[in-house]
Amino acid sequence: MDFSKIFLVLKREYLTRAKSKSFILSTVLTPIVLIAFFGFLAWIMTSETETDKSVGVYDQTGVLVENLIALDSVRYSNVSDLPIDTVKAMVLRQDLDAYLLLEEKHIETNENAQLIYKESGGLAFTGSVRSDVREVIQEERLSRANVSDEVKELFARRPNIDSQKLTAEGESEDDKAGFMSGVGFVLGLLIFIGLFGYGAVLMRSVIEEKTNRIVEVITSSLKPIELLIGKVAGVCLLGFTQFTIWAVMYIGISMAAVPIAGALMQDQISEMADTQDIEQVAAEAGFDPASLEVLSIDPMIFVYFFLFFVLGFFMYASIFAAVGSAVDSEQDTQQFMPILMIPLMGAYILNTRIMVDPDSTLAVVASMFPLTSPINMITRIATTDVPIWQIGASLALLVVSFFGVMWVSAKIYRVGILMYGKKASFGDFAKWIKQS
Amino acid sequence: MTIIHVENIRKSFGKNKAVDDVSFDVEKGRIFGLLGPNGAGKTTTIRMINNILGPDEGSITINGQIASPLTQKMIGYMPEERGLYKKMKVGEQLLYLTQLKGMKTKEAKEAIHYWLDRFDASDWTKKEVGELSKGMSQKIQFIATIAHDPDIYIFDEPFSGLDPINSDMLKDIIIELKNNGKTILFSTHRMEQVEQMCDDICLFNKGKAVLQGKLREVKASFGKNTINLEFDGDGSFLDKLEGVRLNNRSTNFAEIRVLNGQNMQDILKLAMEHAEIHKFERIEPSLNEIFISTVGEDNLKAQRLEEAQ
Repeated sequence: MDFSKIFLVLKREYLTRAKSKSFILSTVLTPIVLIAFFGFLAWIMTSETETDKSVGVYDQTGVLVENLIALDSVRYSNVSDLPIDTVKAMVLRQDLDAYLLLEEKHIETNENAQLIYKESGGLAFTGSVRSDVREVIQEERLSRANVSDEVKELFARRPNIDSQKLTAEGESEDDKAGFMSGVGFVLGLLIFIGLFGYGAVLMRSVIEEKTNRIVEVITSSLKPIELLIGKVAGVCLLGFTQFTIWAVMYIGISMAAVPIAGALMQDQISEMADTQDIEQVAAEAGFDPASLEVLSIDPMIFVYFFLFFVLGFFMYASIFAAVGSAVDSEQDTQQFMPILMIPLMGAYILNTRIMVDPDSTLAVVASMFPLTSPINMITRIATTDVPIWQIGASLALLVVSFFGVMWVSAKIYRVGILMYGKKASFGDFAKWIKQS
Repeated sequence: MTIIHVENIRKSFGKNKAVDDVSFDVEKGRIFGLLGPNGAGKTTTIRMINNILGPDEGSITINGQIASPLTQKMIGYMPEERGLYKKMKVGEQLLYLTQLKGMKTKEAKEAIHYWLDRFDASDWTKKEVGELSKGMSQKIQFIATIAHDPDIYIFDEPFSGLDPINSDMLKDIIIELKNNGKTILFSTHRMEQVEQMCDDICLFNKGKAVLQGKLREVKASFGKNTINLEFDGDGSFLDKLEGVRLNNRSTNFAEIRVLNGQNMQDILKLAMEHAEIHKFERIEPSLNEIFISTVGEDNLKAQRLEEAQ
């Protein structure tokens, strides 16, 4: 192995790509797209799409309807005085989206009240009506039972939990579980995007050398394995440059954003808190101003991120390179893509489970299995305390399979880069491996 | 002095024996031609000499050393399938390729500068190869092959795809390199180039070296069994000839290879009866004729048919 040649290849690969327009564009655009995506997701999850639906309350008890209107005067209106057929006609004409039939028996017995609508109600809508009805009926039952205000107060209170994590020193610290599982997922996602994105960059680069017919000139100067390693390392370094730029952007933005966001939140909270206790409002909103501090992430996580990204990339990139070497154009790669898609997509899908349940057997296995561990382990590390032996074992397995995969891929690569105008198949792969 | 020594090499791809027990020696300071139809094993042999492929059996030594990364530096190689990075600047590209051959940055720059000057291409250094015309990029390709000043130059089908100007230029370069004591090995399936340039030849067919030696000796060994005929008049009498093979036939010229030791005077008589003879000359066969008679006409037709498909 001639390292000076590998370095020359690495340098060329890195410089030509880092100077390219597409690299600069993707560096700038990716965070914007990501932020927009998560913003969109957050908007979808928080937006109350059911508020604009109108519900006529046909109340035969005479006591519930006012409480419902008090809860949400936009949604509920009193139609108890109209004949029931008129109410039905209104729903059919869509003057109302639905009507709610409340009778005495709903308070006295456990029979369910009825919500009748014309078109599909939607789960969020029915759920929210259900909780409103539950609340007013319960209130009415309590007052009929003649219980004291104290008992009512007890019922009104919503018990909640504060989660804390026990550290080795025996002290508990504030748990950042929610935030950290988000971080874990994003880190896993970044590795997923990195493996795929930079793997594809490498694959295109291999195909380019083949279609430009320069690869034979180059292999008359160095070994194919040297070319392969140089290229993989060059693209890997490129990925690192991009990640570093993003990390710097993140730190910069969060340093600027934390005080601003904190101040904004404080304003909002004190506005809302005219009559109520600030802390309670904040807790109900699921937000504690102090929690902005958790935006700081343990630096060790970045070290692991580095390790798993590099090892995972070298393994996957060598497969991408082998695929690239076997074809004459990017279109021809499709038949081989499943060998890359299945494990990578699998790891991504597993990740959505692992971020919420990082200590399950499934999570442990996925974070050990070398084809999924680069993505799944980093999510676990961020989300939970992974025993060090598991991290070690995962890394060791990854290194071993990296060498194995590289060895096989290099054999395919060696033969593939000199094959022109022939569409290779999996059968050819097997032949080439035997041949070289 | 032998500079490339090829001994009993074999290379198979699956069941296909691409190179089957081939041996030859290339002498220092001479031009060596590898001839043969497509698929005869020339490119595979050349790739093995360049240490791009390893032989299954046999050995290749360059300057007394087994083919290795070390011997790669002694060779400048221009493959048949050639190309450059389209989006890289000419100067950077040449520097990269020359450095890969082990040349130091400073020397590489000087050499590249010298050759760019020689080819009136100094203005192109900052241009991307994709912007150059085909002829221009061919020149850059030559420079990439020779800039590291190796002792041995290997060109695989060097004239295929070259425009006439660059084709002549390459011929001149090859002659110049030879005069400077360099060794050149090139492969081709076009015989007239070999006749003009080569000192030694090795003829490939179906993975085997079927004929080799000094060009003059090879030709002499076939004897003066060919007639160079120039005439005026109706040439249809040529079709009546039996036991001959007609090469290079045109309206008033024919190269007639006499088979089976037929009497040439009979051919002359027949010719005189039908046309006015301007020239009747006994010559050594052309390389093309040697090639055909060695490989066998029928074989060759079948192979050409395959190629055409």
